[in-house]
Amino acid sequence: MLFVDLCIQGVIQGAIYALIALGLTLVYGLLRILHVAHAALFTLGGYVGVLVTNGSGSFLLALMTAMLVVGVVGMSSYTIIYKPLLNRTPLIALIASIGIFIASEELFRIFFGAYGLSYVSPPLQVQIEILPGISLSQARILVVILAVGLLSGVGWLAINTRMGIAARATVVDPQIAASSGVNVEIIRYGSFFIGSAFAGAAGVMVSLLNNLVEPTMGAVPSYKALAIIVLGGLGSVRGALIASLALGIIESFGTIYVGHLLDRDSIAFAFLIMVLMVRPQGLLVRG
Amino acid sequence: MKKYFKATLLGSALAVSAAVVSASADTIKIGFNVPLTGFAAADGQSALHGAELAVSQVNGSGGVNGSMLELVVYDDQASPKESGPLAVKMITKDNVVAGISGSYSGATRAAATIFAESEVPYISAYAIHPDITRAGDYVFRTSFMGEVQGRAGAKLIGEMLGKKRVVMVTLNNDFGKSLAAGFREQAGNFGVEIVAEYDYSIKDREFGPIISKIKADKADAIYASGYFFTAGPMVSQIRAAGLTQPIVGQEGYDSQKFIEIAGGASEGVMITTSLDRDSSSPETQAFISGFAKKAGYPADMVAASGHTALLVLADALKRAGSSDASALRDAISKTNLSASTGKISFNALGEVQKDVQVQIVKNGNWHYHSVISDAVLLAPPSK
Repeated sequence: MLFVDLCIQGVIQGAIYALIALGLTLVYGLLRILHVAHAALFTLGGYVGVLVTNGSGSFLLALMTAMLVVGVVGMSSYTIIYKPLLNRTPLIALIASIGIFIASEELFRIFFGAYGLSYVSPPLQVQIEILPGISLSQARILVVILAVGLLSGVGWLAINTRMGIAARATVVDPQIAASSGVNVEIIRYGSFFIGSAFAGAAGVMVSLLNNLVEPTMGAVPSYKALAIIVLGGLGSVRGALIASLALGIIESFGTIYVGHLLDRDSIAFAFLIMVLMVRPQGLLVRG
Repeated sequence: MKKYFKATLLGSALAVSAAVVSASADTIKIGFNVPLTGFAAADGQSALHGAELAVSQVNGSGGVNGSMLELVVYDDQASPKESGPLAVKMITKDNVVAGISGSYSGATRAAATIFAESEVPYISAYAIHPDITRAGDYVFRTSFMGEVQGRAGAKLIGEMLGKKRVVMVTLNNDFGKSLAAGFREQAGNFGVEIVAEYDYSIKDREFGPIISKIKADKADAIYASGYFFTAGPMVSQIRAAGLTQPIVGQEGYDSQKFIEIAGGASEGVMITTSLDRDSSSPETQAFISGFAKKAGYPADMVAASGHTALLVLADALKRAGSSDASALRDAISKTNLSASTGKISFNALGEVQKDVQVQIVKNGNWHYHSVISDAVLLAPPSK
């Protein structure tokens, strides 16, 4: 029973990681940039979620607003930060991204206060018995449904639409794709929008599970999502999703059985190092 | 015309700065390092409000022996690499008569060493690491050490609540670890059996796996260390998972924000702390109402600690009659003061000796539950 329970907790955590990591791996695939500031978009999603829910009383509206707002902010981060730096070495874009991320924490603090925000009456708290003896709140169940729904939606788009095929072609070789008539800019904006919106959705869900969104909420995802995309094989979407799930479950069991030796992050990075020793290219190769 | 305007501007600027200089010549400067940015900014802001309130209360009633107090505030980001240089600056450039830490243990330890070496008095308002006061005999602490509060927690659970099978959830920093050490040390004496202990990091807000395991452990009570921003999510997740055992925390929970985060789940949560909201003492009541007016939100433990540390220093300055460092140090060590966090006196090491307050959440507010005043149990180390 405990085993099943821990697996479920791991899947929930993995679903959150997956929603965050998708955007990061898309950006890496397209631009070869490690988009650390992505974690700031995750935090922004949390803030929009709490503010809109408290203001309007509708969590659904808050979730949709957060995805839209964060998606648009994500697109503008491409225009403002990355586009002017594209013909420099990726290191410069990385430094800019880290700078933006650090500044964002203080901006959140200045605008929304150091104490963070909470839901006045948190929605989706009813317990549902999913297996005999194991019940979860609606919010936790929604995390998994949302991750599966959104991610398989993107998977379907990538395989079945002209846009998706163009996006995959751009990842493989931007120049050939462009000379075959693919508008590379639109692909980039689209990827930033989708990746950021998903991070925004993850931010809303995490803010609900913790009933707290604070300026430093993105601190852990900022580096753990990097670990996930390295673990999955840089640029591989499928690899990142598998890595998210694996890490969620490893952390869940690790917290209980080796938690007194290693904290959650150390468990994650120990796992990363062990995998990279066996498979330096990551779990899956980009494709 | 333009030239004339510039000259007047320059002249008035000079006059203003001269006024500032002459005003500050009469004030007594007190250094205050506090995290105003970074992860601990919320606690830092509260501690600063508390200290500023104390300054305005002292200055409002005539200052110290005719001089006004002036806080020299620096943001240390709760980081030792910030607080060390800031301590040097406060001592050498600002010529403060004493320093107060409104910061966490890491930053406080680094600054305490420098204050102790420079023989300038320094008071830790709420940082709990045991080595802080061991930096030297110019360093004092006006809050409980973690071990002391941990021992009080064991008494509360084992004797006062009569719960015997306890699960510990421990924050794996100096705060959580020293609480756990104190709890473990006294658990046996109060008949408490520690069924299991789980560690978590200050970055964790997601406790699903630990809670699943606690469910399987079938304990009578949960002793969980943390700050309001970890304990809030933890308590709400514990209750959301259907666990109903009593939860006992400590002063890290002590903020209205904890109740806001945990919501209904916070009802019945008990903590050991130093601020009694229902106290009839005029000092505490004046602090609670003054703080709410100044800060715009209800008082918490760090605010009361910042307030207390400053009043202890002001009281010692009055009694010392001068700002001479060794006279001031001697005066602080002889403190016997009623402050917002109770009656304050120090032992030989500079550790505070006072009662532990037990507060409980009732109807969305912290309230009096009981008080633990066992001088032997609560005795801090004296060397």
